[in-house]
Amino acid sequence: MNNSEKLMSAIAGVLNLSVDQISDNSDQDSLPGWDSLAMVNLIMELETLFNISFDILEIAEFKSVHIIKLFLENKGVIF
Amino acid sequence: MVFDMLPPMQWPSAMRHTIQKELESNTLGAVRKCLALIADLDGAMRGRPFKLGILRTFTVETMLDHLRLALSCIPCQPEMIFGELENIEQELFNQDSMFLASEPDMILILWRMEDLYPLLAWEADTMSVEQRRNAYEIMNSRIENIILSYRGVAPLFLSTFSVPELWKGRLHDFHRPFGVNEIVRRINLDLHEFASSGKISIFDFSHWISLNGSSAVFDLKMDLFARQPIAARSIYSFSAEIARLVTAIIKPQAKVLAIDLDHTLWGGVLGEDGISRLKIGNDYPGNIYRRIQQFVLSLKHRGVLLVLLSKNNLDDVEQAFDTLRDMPLKLEDFSIIKVNWKEKSQNLIEAARELNVGIDSFVFVDDQPFEREQMFFALPEVQVLSVGKDPLSIYTALLKCPSFDTVRISQEDITRAQDYQLQLFRKKLETSCSPDDFLKSLGLEAIIRPVDESSLQRAHQMLAKTNQFNLTTRRHSEAKLRKMIDMPGSILLTLSLSDRFGDQGIVGLCIVLKDQDTDSAELDSFLLSCRAIGRGAEDALWSSLLKKVSLMGFRQLKAAYYASPKNSQVSNLLDRWGMKRVHENSHGVEYTLELPTKIDLPDWININEIS
Repeated sequence: MNNSEKLMSAIAGVLNLSVDQISDNSDQDSLPGWDSLAMVNLIMELETLFNISFDILEIAEFKSVHIIKLFLENKGVIF
Repeated sequence: MVFDMLPPMQWPSAMRHTIQKELESNTLGAVRKCLALIADLDGAMRGRPFKLGILRTFTVETMLDHLRLALSCIPCQPEMIFGELENIEQELFNQDSMFLASEPDMILILWRMEDLYPLLAWEADTMSVEQRRNAYEIMNSRIENIILSYRGVAPLFLSTFSVPELWKGRLHDFHRPFGVNEIVRRINLDLHEFASSGKISIFDFSHWISLNGSSAVFDLKMDLFARQPIAARSIYSFSAEIARLVTAIIKPQAKVLAIDLDHTLWGGVLGEDGISRLKIGNDYPGNIYRRIQQFVLSLKHRGVLLVLLSKNNLDDVEQAFDTLRDMPLKLEDFSIIKVNWKEKSQNLIEAARELNVGIDSFVFVDDQPFEREQMFFALPEVQVLSVGKDPLSIYTALLKCPSFDTVRISQEDITRAQDYQLQLFRKKLETSCSPDDFLKSLGLEAIIRPVDESSLQRAHQMLAKTNQFNLTTRRHSEAKLRKMIDMPGSILLTLSLSDRFGDQGIVGLCIVLKDQDTDSAELDSFLLSCRAIGRGAEDALWSSLLKKVSLMGFRQLKAAYYASPKNSQVSNLLDRWGMKRVHENSHGVEYTLELPTKIDLPDWININEIS
C-alpha cells in the first residue's frame, strides 16, 4: 500500500465509508459523517499511521483531503 | 503490573491471533476490524449483555470503539452510555436523567482536577495556603456528597486523580503545605478510604498512568483541541484497564490453581536431581522459584484453592516437602494432591469432582509445553497459562493473570482452604458410620438472621458465585441488595452453619420480595453453598423463611425454579417442600404455596433464629 492508498484507507476507516468514496477532491462537505468527532479520530489515526505529529494550529485546517495531503507532505510523507 | 487482557480461549484461534496482531498497530481502523470479526461470532461465545455507564469531565467518545473491543473480549456484549460532559451530579441524582433511565450495570466516573476545580489546577500559585486547603476541602466534600447520596443499584466506580500537567514535578509545589501534588495525594487517599467502607469502588486512573508514564499517555495537543487528553497510542490500554474492572464484576474469579512441581515450584526435577540439588531458596536461582511459591501461597490466602499436579512418586514429594523446610509452600497448603503418573487432565477432572467445582474454574500452570497442550486438548474449559521456557516467565504470567482479580476479599475467602480441609474430615467421618449417626454426631448448629451491613458482602458474593444449589441464579449487585433490604415487605435471610469441626460461616441465603401490585410474597432467590449440601441446612432455612413470611401476614408464597446448565439438582426442591406447580415451560417451573404452613425439620440441627 503506498502512502496515498494508506491515507484514503485511513479516512475511509474513520468515516465508516468505502475507499472508493474518497478522492483527492473530497472534503468535509462532500463526505458524510465528517463531523468534529471524526476530525479528532482522523488526526489521531494519521499521526499513528504516519508516525508524525501535527502542529496544534494546523489541525484546525484539516477540512479536505487535499489540505491533509499538503500537511502530511510538510511532515515528510511522500506521495 | 500490566495485566494480560487476552481474547477468550473459546474463540477460534485464528480470530484471537488476528485480534492480537491488529492491536499492535494501535489504530482505530484495526479496532474496528476486530469488532467486525467479533460481530460475526456465535451469540453464545459473545457473553452476556453489559451496559457500562460513564460520567465524565472530558471527551470519551473517541474511545467508544476501543472500549467496545476491550469489553467484548471479556467476553460480553457491551453497550456504552455516556453522560453529558461535565454533568456528574446532574446525571447521577436527577431522577429524570436519561443516563439513569438506561439502567447501566455499572457506573464509572472519569474526572480531572483541571475540570472540577480549574482555579486550583491553573492558579494555585495565586492562592494562599488557607485558600488551597479550602479548595481541597471543597473537592473532598463534593466527592463525599456523591458517595453519600448515591442510592443507585449499579456498582459505582470513582476514578483517582492525576496531578495536572502544570504541577507535575514542580519543586516549589512539593515544598509547600497543600501544594497541588499534596492535594491530589490527599484526595486519592480519601477515595481509598471511601472504597474500604464498601459503598463505592475505585478505578485507579493514577496507577494506570504510572504504568506507562504521563508523558506517554497524555496528549496535550488533543486535550486543548478537543478536551481529549489520552494519547492515541494509549487509548486501547486505557480501555483494557477499564475492561479489567468490568471483568472482576461479571466474570467469576477462578476458584482453583492447578500447578506443577518440577521446574515450576522449584528448579530441577525431583526424580532426577534428588532433594539436595533442587533450586529453592533465598539466593539466585532458587529465589525465582521462591517468588513463585510466595505468590501461589498468597492466592490461597485470597480464597483460591491449590491443587498439586505432578508426575512424581508421592513418597519422594512428601519427603522433599518435609526436608526442604524453608519453602513458603507446605504440602498442607494444597487442598488436593495428585502426585502420580496419570494424565494431568484426568487428575484435574478428579480434583474438580472432589472439590465440587466446575472444570472451567481452574487455571493450570506447567512448565512443559506438552502438558499444557495435552490439558488444552483434553479440557478446553481449563485456563492454561501461557508461559515461556524460564521460571521468570512463569512468575510474570501468574502476576499478570486477571483471572484471580477480585474487587474485594471476604472472610469466607480467607478461610476457604481451611474450610475445605474440615470438609475432608467430615467426609471421612461420614464414610465411617451410618448416615443418621453421622449427621447426629456432627452437632450441627444453624444461625439464621436477616442480611445486614456486616453480611452484605458475603451475601453478594454468594449470589455471584453459587451455581448449583441456586433456584433462580439471579446475580444481584451489592447496591441492589441494599435496596432490597429497605423495600417494604422484603425478607433477606442468611444461614450460618457450624459443627464440631468448625464454623463454615454463611452458607445459605434466601430473598423474598413483596410484589407491589399483588401484595403477594415472591421468592427471588434461594441458595446454598455446595459445602453445606446434604445436611438439612436448606430445610432449616426454608422453615425459618416460611415462619417469617407467615408472620408478616402473607397468605401466599410464589416461587420458581429456573433451569440453568448447573442447577439441575434443585429442579424438584420446591416440589419436595410441598409447593404446587402452576406453570411449566422449557425455562422452568412456577409454584405457589398457601400460608401459613410449615415443614418437618431435621432433628439433628439446632436452629437459632435471630431477628
